Amino acid sequence: MSSAVMRLRAVFEKSGRAKYISHLDLNRFMLRTFRRSGLPVWYTEGFNPHPYYSFALALSLGYESSCEIMDFNLTEEMPLDEVRDRLNAVMPEGMRVLSVSEQRLKITAITSAEYSFSLVTEQPEELYAALQELMAQPEILVEKKTKKGIKTVDIRPDIDIVSCEKSGDSVDIAVRLPAGTQTNYNPSLLIGSLRDFCDIPFEEENIKRTKILCENNEIFS
Amino acid sequence: MAEDSGLRKKIEKHLLSIQKPSRYIGGEVGSVVKDKSRVDVRFAFCFPDTYDIGMSHLGMKILYSLTNERENYWCERCFAPGVDFEKIMRENDIPLYALESLDPIRDFDFIGFTMQYELSYTNVLNMLDLAGIPIFSRDRTEELTQIVVAGGPCVCNPEPLADFFDIFILGEGEEVNLELMDLYNEMKQQGAKRIDFLRRAAHIGGVYVPQFYHFSYKDDGTIESVSVSDGAPETVTKRIIKDFDSVYYPDNFVVPFTEIVHDRVSVEVLRGCIRGCRFCQAGFIYRPFREKEPDTICSETKALCENTGYDEVSLASLSTSDHSGIDPMLTKLLEYTEKERINLSLPSLRVDNFSESLLEKIKKVRKSGLTFAAEGGTQRLRDVINKNVTEEEIMNTCGIAFRGGYSSVKLYFMMGLPTETDEDIVGIAELAQRIIDLFYSIEDRPKGRGVQVSVSCATFVPKPFTPFQFEPQDTREMIEHKQKLLMDSVRTRKIKVSYHNPDVSLLEVVLAKGDRRLCRVVYAAWKRGCKFDSWDEHFRFDKWLEAFEECGVDPGFYAHRRFEYDEILPWDHLDYLVSKEFFIRENRTARQNKTTPNCRERCSGCGVNKRVGRDCF
Repeated sequence: MSSAVMRLRAVFEKSGRAKYISHLDLNRFMLRTFRRSGLPVWYTEGFNPHPYYSFALALSLGYESSCEIMDFNLTEEMPLDEVRDRLNAVMPEGMRVLSVSEQRLKITAITSAEYSFSLVTEQPEELYAALQELMAQPEILVEKKTKKGIKTVDIRPDIDIVSCEKSGDSVDIAVRLPAGTQTNYNPSLLIGSLRDFCDIPFEEENIKRTKILCENNEIFS
Repeated sequence: MAEDSGLRKKIEKHLLSIQKPSRYIGGEVGSVVKDKSRVDVRFAFCFPDTYDIGMSHLGMKILYSLTNERENYWCERCFAPGVDFEKIMRENDIPLYALESLDPIRDFDFIGFTMQYELSYTNVLNMLDLAGIPIFSRDRTEELTQIVVAGGPCVCNPEPLADFFDIFILGEGEEVNLELMDLYNEMKQQGAKRIDFLRRAAHIGGVYVPQFYHFSYKDDGTIESVSVSDGAPETVTKRIIKDFDSVYYPDNFVVPFTEIVHDRVSVEVLRGCIRGCRFCQAGFIYRPFREKEPDTICSETKALCENTGYDEVSLASLSTSDHSGIDPMLTKLLEYTEKERINLSLPSLRVDNFSESLLEKIKKVRKSGLTFAAEGGTQRLRDVINKNVTEEEIMNTCGIAFRGGYSSVKLYFMMGLPTETDEDIVGIAELAQRIIDLFYSIEDRPKGRGVQVSVSCATFVPKPFTPFQFEPQDTREMIEHKQKLLMDSVRTRKIKVSYHNPDVSLLEVVLAKGDRRLCRVVYAAWKRGCKFDSWDEHFRFDKWLEAFEECGVDPGFYAHRRFEYDEILPWDHLDYLVSKEFFIRENRTARQNKTTPNCRERCSGCGVNKRVGRDCF
């Protein structure tokens, strides 16, 4: 059995039609991508060997991302750019590896992620104001599904609005939310709270994960 | 990448509120996207069921790639939307579209359906309706566009669909599809009308234009005559590929994101069947028997695995173990698949030539249960249906399998076969019991596990182009009696019995053996909301009965009546190379409880070799 000589981390983009690939399907997709690429990926040992790869964070169906992270190992030394290019050569529209590097931090170092999205509305002024008002509340209680059932949590302390701009027909937001092995908040929690908080009709569009961060809001790598 | 049609935005707006959205947006690895401004003929390959099922169909993969090899032709895929998405499409005026361009299929030159099973007929109507294409052929434009065609096994008797299609393509499509598109392309550039095209198309071998054939009926409801107009040929003969080893085979498949029913590489190893089981339509309509060389099979497997990234391969055929080079083929294939950690699966193995060395090979590749199609419970009945399998062979095979570590066996049977008596039904339970006894008589049987014999009983559906095409189907009462008898004959929980719904089988036989008068019934059933008839949760037999009633058509006339040897059958003007005389002869032989040897042992004169102009073996 060959051993893992390169422990690698790919940052990849998931956009366009690829955003409809569910997390479960992404697993199967990557298996086939690796096989098509012909890269010497390291297989797990044991009864049912399969190529080892692992995604840092799951991405909700319908979200785009410019910063997805996947770890995998190779059994042979190879230039990092070649690894990237060979994967990209067999990827479909919307999936693209942006970089491949050695794994630096452990996945457990991830603390948060940033998302951008637009709230499309006929009343951007009012919606903008409503969001400010929501964020000024002492607490924002949401019901969150956990393994033990539904529990009510206050998400206010963990929401960090990075930017918020209004345009002709939308409010465009960037937000930082906890992510990683402990707590994962999804922008839909904030969007849902806003919808409950005001009666202004809006639709969320173009939700995209833009950064995966570790301590001190540094880019995780 | 072609320009997006305006539909994309409309579709995407709703995709997140439906099940498995990746089925509706295309963009899969291996899908072919062309610049439509440089394409002359556009073909929408439609499968009248959902993506998960349709994407598993091998014929589509072959014809998709074959057509797209031609630079100026573009073949795209289209499936029946799930009920949730159909609702959204109808509410938001999203017409049925093809997955590559996301363009509405009503703008295509060809809308081609593959008819794999009778219970998909209403889905065709529903898809045409969703597409905004007139459902009846006669209502379509006079211009040369929107030609609705169908192929696949069901078109060997396409009459219950005749009013909805412009063209049926009989037999294998690899050559005739392109011939048809070439003619279309030529005539489109000349500015021809639809009718001119259909008249000329009718002279391409294998092309059946139903509107040129006219049926008249006798007072007793049987067919009086079929007259032909517009210069079309009296009979239409199915197409076959003569040199099967060198026929086009794709080196790439579209690889879905979502899981589909058969999610693997499929490599065709042979066409046709040497067996001649008298109930089996596939065994006759795909004749003559032709094989691919083991080397061809291996190189096709390799190319497909490398290009798709699949780690599973299945060999496709009617009976893989009848390949004359099965042992060298598997040895070679396993050499490759083991090295590349690919799973190889071999469906369609026969009981009688299942050797120990073969089992050793397949043991390496799959650990699940074994499935055998015994079909009949007694030797007499198996002789009647010409399932040339003896009980000894079944026992031998099960013995080999049990000693090889298997502890569960699945047996397929049919109920309602010609000449069947209660004794034959009890025989099913007795056979299953003897398999159980065999398991416990084996010293080195798998320890720590009980044996499990699953008995699956389908209701016999007599089909056109088989020796049993003349036979009636059992009535519901007869089937229910036999089902009860079988349940009463089983005395252990180690035997599990399951049935098919007899109402479904009744509809199958009516649509399989029906004539053109059934078109109105199919339409009426669809109008009443029937679709996805093959899905238990959607099948509405009550609606079908209403449709029969409304149209004044008695399903029993097709299902429970014996068709006479000298009767004009609805498919008599279609020629699948096997002669009607042979079917009559085989039907008589069956009634004498006599078998017919397989084609390799001795030619039984079905007529195919004379028609093809060479011996099969």
